Amino acid sequence: MTVTIQISALLREYSGGVPDFKLEATSVRAALAEIERLHPQVYRGVCDETGSVRKHVNIFVNTQNTRDGSGLDTQLTPGDVVMILQAVSGG
Amino acid sequence: MSDRVVLCIGTKKGLFVAEGSKTRKKFELRGPFGPGVSVYSALVDTRGTPKIYASSCNPFFGMKVLRSTDMGHKFKETKSAPAFPKDDGRALANIWSIEPGKDKKELWCGVEPAALFRSHDNGDNWEMVQGISNHEHARKWHPGNGGLCMHTIVRDGNRVHLGISTGGHYLSEDGGETFKASNKGVGAGFVPEPFPEFGQCVHKIARHPDAPGRLYMQNHGGWADWDGPGGPRPDIGVLRSDDHGKSWRSIAKGLPSDFGFPIVVHPNDPDTVYVMPLTPATRTCPDGAPAVWRSENGGNSWKRLARGMPKKDSFYTVLRDAMDIDELKEPSLYFGTTTGQVWIGRDGGEDWECLFDSLPPVNCVKVAVV
Repeated sequence: MTVTIQISALLREYSGGVPDFKLEATSVRAALAEIERLHPQVYRGVCDETGSVRKHVNIFVNTQNTRDGSGLDTQLTPGDVVMILQAVSGG
Repeated sequence: MSDRVVLCIGTKKGLFVAEGSKTRKKFELRGPFGPGVSVYSALVDTRGTPKIYASSCNPFFGMKVLRSTDMGHKFKETKSAPAFPKDDGRALANIWSIEPGKDKKELWCGVEPAALFRSHDNGDNWEMVQGISNHEHARKWHPGNGGLCMHTIVRDGNRVHLGISTGGHYLSEDGGETFKASNKGVGAGFVPEPFPEFGQCVHKIARHPDAPGRLYMQNHGGWADWDGPGGPRPDIGVLRSDDHGKSWRSIAKGLPSDFGFPIVVHPNDPDTVYVMPLTPATRTCPDGAPAVWRSENGGNSWKRLARGMPKKDSFYTVLRDAMDIDELKEPSLYFGTTTGQVWIGRDGGEDWECLFDSLPPVNCVKVAVV
Protein backbone atom coordinates (compact mmCIF):
# COMPACT_ATOMS: atom_id res chain seq x y z
CA MET A 1 0.00 0.00 0.00
CA THR A 2 1.16 3.51 -0.69
CA VAL A 3 2.02 5.91 2.12
CA THR A 4 3.68 9.32 2.17
CA ILE A 5 6.91 9.94 4.03
CA GLN A 6 7.59 13.50 5.18
CA ILE A 7 11.00 14.28 6.57
CA SER A 8 12.46 17.01 8.74
CA ALA A 9 14.26 19.84 6.93
CA LEU A 10 17.49 18.78 8.62
CA LEU A 11 17.37 15.41 6.84
CA ARG A 12 16.61 16.76 3.40
CA GLU A 13 20.19 17.19 2.41
CA TYR A 14 20.27 13.39 2.43
CA SER A 15 17.17 13.04 0.29
CA GLY A 16 18.36 15.27 -2.51
CA GLY A 17 16.28 18.14 -1.13
CA VAL A 18 13.05 16.22 -1.43
CA PRO A 19 10.67 17.04 1.51
CA ASP A 20 8.39 14.06 0.98
CA PHE A 21 8.06 10.97 -1.12
CA LYS A 22 5.77 8.00 -1.48
CA LEU A 23 6.60 4.35 -0.94
CA GLU A 24 4.96 1.00 -0.43
CA ALA A 25 4.86 -0.34 3.15
CA THR A 26 2.46 -1.99 5.57
CA SER A 27 4.25 -1.01 8.80
CA VAL A 28 6.66 1.61 10.08
CA ARG A 29 9.37 -1.04 10.17
CA ALA A 30 8.73 -1.87 6.51
CA ALA A 31 8.69 1.83 5.66
CA LEU A 32 12.09 2.30 7.28
CA ALA A 33 13.44 -0.67 5.34
CA GLU A 34 12.21 0.93 2.17
CA ILE A 35 13.73 4.28 3.19
CA GLU A 36 17.04 2.48 3.76
CA ARG A 37 16.85 1.13 0.22
CA LEU A 38 15.77 4.37 -1.43
CA HIS A 39 17.62 6.93 0.71
CA PRO A 40 20.29 5.18 2.79
CA GLN A 41 21.66 8.42 4.21
CA VAL A 42 18.23 9.46 5.44
CA TYR A 43 17.90 6.07 7.09
CA ARG A 44 21.23 6.46 8.86
CA GLY A 45 19.97 9.76 10.28
CA VAL A 46 16.87 8.09 11.63
CA CYS A 47 18.14 4.72 12.87
CA ASP A 48 21.35 3.62 14.53
CA GLU A 49 23.46 0.57 13.65
CA THR A 50 21.11 -1.74 15.56
CA GLY A 51 18.06 -0.62 13.62
CA SER A 52 16.64 1.30 16.58
CA VAL A 53 15.16 4.72 15.99
CA ARG A 54 17.61 7.28 17.31
CA LYS A 55 16.83 8.69 20.77
CA HIS A 56 15.99 12.19 19.59
CA VAL A 57 13.98 11.24 16.51
CA ASN A 58 10.23 10.77 16.61
CA ILE A 59 8.16 9.05 13.94
CA PHE A 60 4.51 10.05 13.69
CA VAL A 61 1.84 8.24 11.72
CA ASN A 62 -0.52 11.05 10.88
CA THR A 63 -0.52 12.79 14.29
CA GLN A 64 0.24 9.79 16.51
CA ASN A 65 3.72 9.36 17.90
CA THR A 66 4.66 5.73 17.29
CA ARG A 67 6.56 5.67 20.59
CA ASP A 68 3.16 5.91 22.32
CA GLY A 69 1.85 2.88 20.47
CA SER A 70 3.42 -0.10 18.77
CA GLY A 71 6.66 1.59 17.75
CA LEU A 72 8.19 0.09 14.64
CA ASP A 73 5.37 -2.43 14.47
CA THR A 74 2.79 0.31 13.98
CA GLN A 75 0.61 -0.78 11.07
CA LEU A 76 0.04 1.54 8.13
CA THR A 77 -3.06 2.00 6.03
CA PRO A 78 -3.24 3.41 2.49
CA GLY A 79 -2.83 7.19 2.44
CA ASP A 80 -1.13 7.42 5.85
CA VAL A 81 1.41 10.19 6.30
CA VAL A 82 4.56 9.15 8.15
CA MET A 83 6.39 12.16 9.56
CA ILE A 84 9.98 11.91 10.74
CA LEU A 85 10.86 14.80 13.08
CA GLN A 86 13.65 15.63 15.47
CA ALA A 87 12.58 15.71 19.12
CA VAL A 88 14.51 18.84 19.91
CA SER A 89 14.35 20.27 23.40
CA GLY A 90 16.26 20.66 26.57
CA GLY A 91 19.04 22.87 27.84
CA MET B 1 18.37 43.23 58.72
CA SER B 2 19.10 41.84 55.24
CA ASP B 3 22.46 43.11 54.15
CA ARG B 4 24.26 40.36 52.28
CA VAL B 5 23.72 39.28 48.69
CA VAL B 6 24.21 35.54 48.30
CA LEU B 7 24.67 34.01 44.90
CA CYS B 8 24.43 30.24 44.44
CA ILE B 9 26.09 29.00 41.30
CA GLY B 10 25.36 25.41 40.33
CA THR B 11 27.98 24.08 37.95
CA LYS B 12 28.96 20.89 36.24
CA LYS B 13 31.57 20.37 38.96
CA GLY B 14 29.68 21.34 42.09
CA LEU B 15 28.09 24.30 43.85
CA PHE B 16 29.81 27.62 44.38
CA VAL B 17 28.55 30.32 46.74
CA ALA B 18 29.45 33.96 46.16
CA GLU B 19 28.72 36.55 48.81
CA GLY B 20 28.84 40.31 48.63
CA SER B 21 27.50 43.41 50.29
CA LYS B 22 24.41 45.27 49.06
CA THR B 23 26.66 47.49 46.95
CA ARG B 24 27.37 44.36 44.89
CA LYS B 25 30.76 45.74 43.86
CA LYS B 26 32.68 42.66 44.87
CA PHE B 27 31.77 39.05 45.59
CA GLU B 28 33.80 36.50 47.51
CA LEU B 29 33.63 32.98 46.12
CA ARG B 30 33.69 29.71 48.06
CA GLY B 31 33.31 26.12 46.98
CA PRO B 32 32.93 23.87 45.17
CA PHE B 33 30.55 22.00 47.46
CA GLY B 34 29.58 18.52 46.36
CA PRO B 35 32.77 18.73 44.32
CA GLY B 36 32.90 17.07 40.95
CA VAL B 37 29.15 16.50 40.81
CA SER B 38 26.75 18.48 38.65
CA VAL B 39 24.33 20.85 40.40
CA TYR B 40 21.20 21.67 38.40
CA SER B 41 19.12 23.43 41.05
CA ALA B 42 19.65 25.61 44.09
CA LEU B 43 17.48 27.56 46.47
CA VAL B 44 18.40 30.31 48.89
CA ASP B 45 15.52 29.87 51.33
CA THR B 46 14.94 33.12 53.22
CA ARG B 47 11.99 31.88 55.25
CA GLY B 48 12.96 31.89 58.93
CA THR B 49 16.62 31.08 59.49
CA PRO B 50 18.09 31.28 55.98
CA LYS B 51 19.16 28.02 54.39
CA ILE B 52 20.65 27.00 51.09
CA TYR B 53 19.55 23.87 49.28
CA ALA B 54 21.16 22.38 46.20
CA SER B 55 20.73 19.23 44.20
CA SER B 56 23.82 17.11 43.67
CA CYS B 57 23.26 14.91 40.67
CA ASN B 58 25.74 12.09 40.91
CA PRO B 59 25.63 9.88 37.82
CA PHE B 60 27.44 7.09 39.66
CA PHE B 61 25.79 6.96 43.06
CA GLY B 62 22.47 8.74 42.71
CA MET B 63 20.84 12.02 43.56
CA LYS B 64 21.42 13.95 46.77
CA VAL B 65 20.01 17.11 48.27
CA LEU B 66 22.57 19.33 50.00
CA ARG B 67 21.59 21.74 52.78
CA SER B 68 23.51 24.53 54.45
CA THR B 69 22.38 26.34 57.58
CA ASP B 70 25.32 28.77 57.69
CA MET B 71 24.80 30.53 54.36
CA GLY B 72 26.93 28.25 52.30
CA HIS B 73 30.06 27.76 54.39
CA LYS B 74 29.31 24.08 54.98
CA PHE B 75 26.85 21.69 53.35
CA LYS B 76 25.47 18.36 54.50
CA GLU B 77 23.25 15.89 52.70
CA THR B 78 19.66 15.80 53.85
CA LYS B 79 18.54 12.48 55.34
CA SER B 80 17.05 11.43 52.02
CA ALA B 81 16.47 12.62 48.48
CA PRO B 82 13.38 12.20 46.32
CA ALA B 83 12.98 8.65 45.05
CA PHE B 84 10.26 6.86 43.12
CA PRO B 85 8.41 4.03 44.89
CA LYS B 86 9.99 0.64 44.23
CA ASP B 87 7.04 -0.62 42.20
CA ASP B 88 6.78 2.57 40.11
CA GLY B 89 9.17 1.51 37.37
CA ARG B 90 10.85 4.90 37.13
CA ALA B 91 14.25 5.80 38.57
CA LEU B 92 15.38 9.26 39.55
CA ALA B 93 17.81 10.65 37.00
CA ASN B 94 18.14 14.28 38.08
CA ILE B 95 16.77 17.01 40.33
CA TRP B 96 15.86 20.10 38.31
CA SER B 97 14.11 22.42 40.73
CA ILE B 98 13.83 23.07 44.45
CA GLU B 99 11.26 25.64 45.54
CA PRO B 100 9.81 26.79 48.86
CA GLY B 101 6.43 25.43 49.81
CA LYS B 102 3.58 26.76 51.92
CA ASP B 103 5.04 26.58 55.40
CA LYS B 104 8.59 27.23 56.54
CA LYS B 105 9.72 23.63 56.39
CA GLU B 106 7.96 22.68 53.16
CA LEU B 107 9.93 22.20 49.96
CA TRP B 108 8.83 21.20 46.47
CA CYS B 109 11.13 19.44 44.10
CA GLY B 110 10.83 18.80 40.36
CA VAL B 111 12.78 15.88 38.99
CA GLU B 112 13.69 13.85 35.93
CA PRO B 113 11.87 11.81 34.74
CA ALA B 114 9.22 14.46 35.18
CA ALA B 115 7.60 14.13 38.58
CA LEU B 116 6.98 16.27 41.64
CA PHE B 117 8.03 15.60 45.22
CA ARG B 118 7.25 17.43 48.45
CA SER B 119 9.03 17.55 51.80
CA HIS B 120 7.55 18.80 55.07
CA ASP B 121 10.80 18.74 57.06
CA ASN B 122 13.39 20.81 55.22
CA GLY B 123 14.24 18.07 52.76
CA ASP B 124 14.87 15.15 55.08
CA ASN B 125 11.92 13.10 53.85
CA TRP B 126 10.10 13.30 50.52
CA GLU B 127 6.76 12.13 49.19
CA MET B 128 5.73 11.93 45.56
CA VAL B 129 2.89 14.24 44.54
CA GLN B 130 0.56 11.84 42.82
CA GLY B 131 -1.65 14.34 40.99
CA ILE B 132 1.05 15.21 38.50
CA SER B 133 3.59 12.41 38.89
CA ASN B 134 0.97 9.82 37.97
CA HIS B 135 -1.07 12.11 35.74
CA GLU B 136 -2.75 10.33 32.84
CA HIS B 137 -0.33 12.17 30.52
CA ALA B 138 2.82 11.36 32.50
CA ARG B 139 3.77 8.24 30.59
CA LYS B 140 3.18 10.05 27.29
CA TRP B 141 5.68 12.85 27.90
CA HIS B 142 8.91 12.44 25.99
CA PRO B 143 12.43 13.40 26.93
CA GLY B 144 14.27 15.91 24.82
CA ASN B 145 17.91 16.78 24.67
CA GLY B 146 17.94 17.90 28.30
CA GLY B 147 16.01 14.87 29.52
CA LEU B 148 12.38 14.65 30.59
CA CYS B 149 12.50 17.23 33.32
CA MET B 150 10.13 19.09 35.60
CA HIS B 151 12.15 22.25 35.85
CA THR B 152 9.69 24.92 36.94
CA ILE B 153 7.45 25.13 40.00
CA VAL B 154 5.60 28.41 40.44
CA ARG B 155 3.30 28.66 43.44
CA ASP B 156 0.56 31.27 43.63
CA GLY B 157 -1.63 30.62 46.63
CA ASN B 158 -3.67 27.54 45.85
CA ARG B 159 -2.48 27.58 42.25
CA VAL B 160 0.61 25.67 41.22
CA HIS B 161 2.15 26.05 37.78
CA LEU B 162 4.57 23.42 36.52
CA GLY B 163 6.86 23.57 33.52
CA ILE B 164 7.84 20.26 31.96
CA SER B 165 10.15 19.63 29.05
CA THR B 166 8.68 18.08 27.07
CA GLY B 167 5.27 18.00 28.67
CA GLY B 168 4.17 21.62 28.66
CA HIS B 169 2.49 23.75 31.31
CA TYR B 170 0.32 22.11 33.95
CA LEU B 171 -1.91 23.99 36.35
CA SER B 172 -3.32 23.00 39.70
CA GLU B 173 -5.98 25.10 41.37
CA ASP B 174 -6.31 22.96 44.48
CA GLY B 175 -2.90 23.33 46.02
CA GLY B 176 -1.27 20.59 44.00
CA GLU B 177 -3.78 17.79 44.45
CA THR B 178 -4.87 17.66 40.82
CA PHE B 179 -3.39 19.12 37.64
CA LYS B 180 -4.61 19.89 34.14
CA ALA B 181 -2.58 20.55 31.01
CA SER B 182 -3.02 24.26 30.30
CA ASN B 183 -1.34 25.05 27.01
CA LYS B 184 -3.82 27.05 24.94
CA GLY B 185 -1.60 29.21 22.73
CA VAL B 186 1.61 27.36 23.61
CA GLY B 187 3.06 26.05 20.37
CA ALA B 188 5.47 23.29 19.46
CA GLY B 189 7.61 22.84 16.38
CA PHE B 190 8.60 19.23 16.70
CA VAL B 191 5.22 17.52 16.44
CA PRO B 192 2.69 17.53 13.61
CA GLU B 193 0.09 19.50 15.56
CA PRO B 194 1.31 23.12 16.05
CA PHE B 195 -0.70 23.65 19.25
CA PRO B 196 -1.09 20.27 20.97
CA GLU B 197 -2.95 19.73 24.22
CA PHE B 198 0.34 18.84 25.92
CA GLY B 199 3.88 17.85 25.02
CA GLN B 200 5.33 21.33 24.51
CA CYS B 201 8.92 22.06 25.38
CA VAL B 202 8.38 24.79 27.96
CA HIS B 203 11.71 26.26 29.07
CA LYS B 204 10.78 28.51 32.00
CA ILE B 205 7.79 30.28 33.60
CA ALA B 206 7.87 33.36 35.83
CA ARG B 207 5.38 35.55 37.63
CA HIS B 208 5.18 38.61 39.89
CA PRO B 209 2.93 38.64 42.95
CA ASP B 210 1.67 42.14 42.17
CA ALA B 211 0.16 41.06 38.86
CA PRO B 212 -2.43 38.42 39.72
CA GLY B 213 -3.08 36.06 36.87
CA ARG B 214 -0.16 37.19 34.77
CA LEU B 215 2.59 34.76 33.82
CA TYR B 216 5.51 34.95 31.43
CA MET B 217 6.86 31.92 29.60
CA GLN B 218 9.98 31.16 27.62
CA ASN B 219 8.88 28.32 25.40
CA HIS B 220 10.96 26.44 22.85
CA GLY B 221 10.84 28.86 19.93
CA GLY B 222 12.94 29.13 16.84
CA TRP B 223 10.41 27.73 14.39
CA ALA B 224 9.85 30.80 12.23
CA ASP B 225 11.98 29.40 9.40
CA TRP B 226 10.77 25.85 9.82
CA ASP B 227 9.83 24.54 6.41
CA GLY B 228 9.15 21.00 7.49
CA PRO B 229 5.84 19.22 7.84
CA GLY B 230 3.16 21.53 9.16
CA GLY B 231 4.83 24.74 8.06
CA PRO B 232 6.39 27.65 9.98
CA ARG B 233 5.40 28.40 13.57
CA PRO B 234 6.70 31.89 14.24
CA ASP B 235 6.81 33.72 17.56
CA ILE B 236 5.77 30.82 19.78
CA GLY B 237 8.84 31.19 21.99
CA VAL B 238 8.09 34.09 24.32
CA LEU B 239 4.58 34.13 25.74
CA ARG B 240 2.37 35.82 28.29
CA SER B 241 -0.80 34.77 30.08
CA ASP B 242 -3.25 37.08 31.83
CA ASP B 243 -5.66 34.43 33.05
CA HIS B 244 -3.57 32.33 35.43
CA GLY B 245 -2.06 30.30 32.62
CA LYS B 246 -5.32 29.19 31.04
CA SER B 247 -4.33 30.79 27.73
CA TRP B 248 -1.15 32.29 26.34
CA ARG B 249 -0.25 34.83 23.65
CA SER B 250 3.00 35.75 21.96
CA ILE B 251 5.07 38.71 23.15
CA ALA B 252 8.07 37.80 20.98
CA LYS B 253 7.75 40.61 18.47
CA GLY B 254 10.81 42.84 18.56
CA LEU B 255 13.23 40.19 19.80
CA PRO B 256 16.08 38.98 17.57
CA SER B 257 15.05 35.39 18.26
CA ASP B 258 12.18 33.82 20.15
CA PHE B 259 14.46 30.99 21.27
CA GLY B 260 16.02 31.15 24.72
CA PHE B 261 15.95 29.43 28.06
CA PRO B 262 15.49 31.74 31.07
CA ILE B 263 12.81 34.36 31.69
CA VAL B 264 12.99 36.64 34.74
CA VAL B 265 10.62 39.27 36.15
CA HIS B 266 11.76 42.47 37.85
CA PRO B 267 11.14 42.21 41.61
CA ASN B 268 9.53 45.66 41.88
CA ASP B 269 7.71 45.95 38.56
CA PRO B 270 5.54 43.21 37.09
CA ASP B 271 5.70 44.88 33.67
CA THR B 272 9.48 44.51 33.45
CA VAL B 273 10.67 41.16 32.15
CA TYR B 274 14.01 39.89 30.88
CA VAL B 275 14.97 37.21 28.37
CA MET B 276 18.20 36.15 26.70
CA PRO B 277 17.52 35.35 23.03
CA LEU B 278 19.73 32.71 21.45
CA THR B 279 20.23 31.49 17.91
CA PRO B 280 17.88 28.50 17.60
CA ALA B 281 20.21 26.17 15.72
CA THR B 282 23.22 26.60 18.01
CA ARG B 283 21.57 27.86 21.22
CA THR B 284 24.31 30.46 21.43
CA CYS B 285 24.44 34.27 21.45
CA PRO B 286 23.27 35.73 18.11
CA ASP B 287 26.32 36.75 16.01
CA GLY B 288 28.54 35.99 18.98
CA ALA B 289 27.37 39.15 20.74
CA PRO B 290 25.59 38.35 24.02
CA ALA B 291 22.74 40.53 25.18
CA VAL B 292 19.88 40.45 27.62
CA TRP B 293 16.65 41.95 26.33
CA ARG B 294 14.26 43.84 28.60
CA SER B 295 10.64 44.81 28.20
CA GLU B 296 9.23 47.45 30.51
CA ASN B 297 5.68 47.15 29.23
CA GLY B 298 4.86 43.51 29.74
CA GLY B 299 6.31 42.36 26.44
CA ASN B 300 4.89 44.95 24.04
CA SER B 301 8.38 46.15 23.11
CA TRP B 302 11.93 45.13 23.92
CA LYS B 303 15.27 46.86 24.46
CA ARG B 304 18.71 45.30 24.03
CA LEU B 305 20.98 45.50 27.10
CA ALA B 306 24.62 44.74 26.37
CA ARG B 307 26.79 47.57 27.73
CA GLY B 308 29.96 45.96 29.05
CA MET B 309 29.43 42.65 27.29
CA PRO B 310 31.61 41.40 24.43
CA LYS B 311 30.62 42.66 21.01
CA LYS B 312 31.81 39.53 19.21
CA ASP B 313 33.26 36.02 19.51
CA SER B 314 31.10 34.90 22.46
CA PHE B 315 29.20 31.75 21.61
CA TYR B 316 27.87 30.53 24.90
CA THR B 317 24.49 29.35 26.15
CA VAL B 318 22.64 30.58 29.20
CA LEU B 319 20.53 27.71 30.50
CA ARG B 320 16.99 27.87 31.87
CA ASP B 321 17.90 28.38 35.52
CA ALA B 322 21.08 30.32 34.93
CA MET B 323 19.63 33.84 35.16
CA ASP B 324 18.19 35.52 38.24
CA ILE B 325 17.59 38.98 39.70
CA ASP B 326 18.06 40.19 43.26
CA GLU B 327 15.32 41.92 45.20
CA LEU B 328 17.04 45.17 46.13
CA LYS B 329 15.54 48.55 45.28
CA GLU B 330 17.83 48.91 42.27
CA PRO B 331 18.13 45.25 41.39
CA SER B 332 20.98 43.57 39.58
CA LEU B 333 20.62 40.68 37.17
CA TYR B 334 22.98 37.74 37.16
CA PHE B 335 23.56 35.05 34.58
CA GLY B 336 25.94 32.14 34.24
CA THR B 337 27.20 30.67 31.00
CA THR B 338 28.05 27.26 29.68
CA THR B 339 31.58 28.59 29.30
CA GLY B 340 31.86 29.14 33.06
CA GLN B 341 31.36 32.86 33.36
CA VAL B 342 29.05 34.65 35.78
CA TRP B 343 27.94 38.15 34.81
CA ILE B 344 26.24 40.86 36.84
CA GLY B 345 23.98 43.46 35.20
CA ARG B 346 23.80 46.41 37.56
CA ASP B 347 21.04 49.01 37.51
CA GLY B 348 18.46 46.57 36.21
CA GLY B 349 20.76 45.24 33.51
CA GLU B 350 22.07 48.54 32.15
CA ASP B 351 25.75 47.88 32.92
CA TRP B 352 27.34 44.47 32.76
CA GLU B 353 30.50 43.11 34.34
CA CYS B 354 31.96 39.61 34.45
CA LEU B 355 32.19 38.57 38.11
CA PHE B 356 33.82 35.19 37.57
CA ASP B 357 35.56 34.22 34.39
CA SER B 358 36.62 30.61 34.69
CA LEU B 359 34.19 28.47 36.62
CA PRO B 360 33.00 25.09 35.34
CA PRO B 361 30.01 25.25 32.96
CA VAL B 362 27.12 26.90 34.81
CA ASN B 363 23.76 25.13 35.12
CA CYS B 364 21.98 27.49 37.50
CA VAL B 365 22.31 30.83 39.27
CA LYS B 366 20.10 31.77 42.22
CA VAL B 367 20.37 34.96 44.24
CA ALA B 368 18.86 36.23 47.48
CA VAL B 369 19.39 39.07 49.92
CA VAL B 370 19.80 37.66 53.43
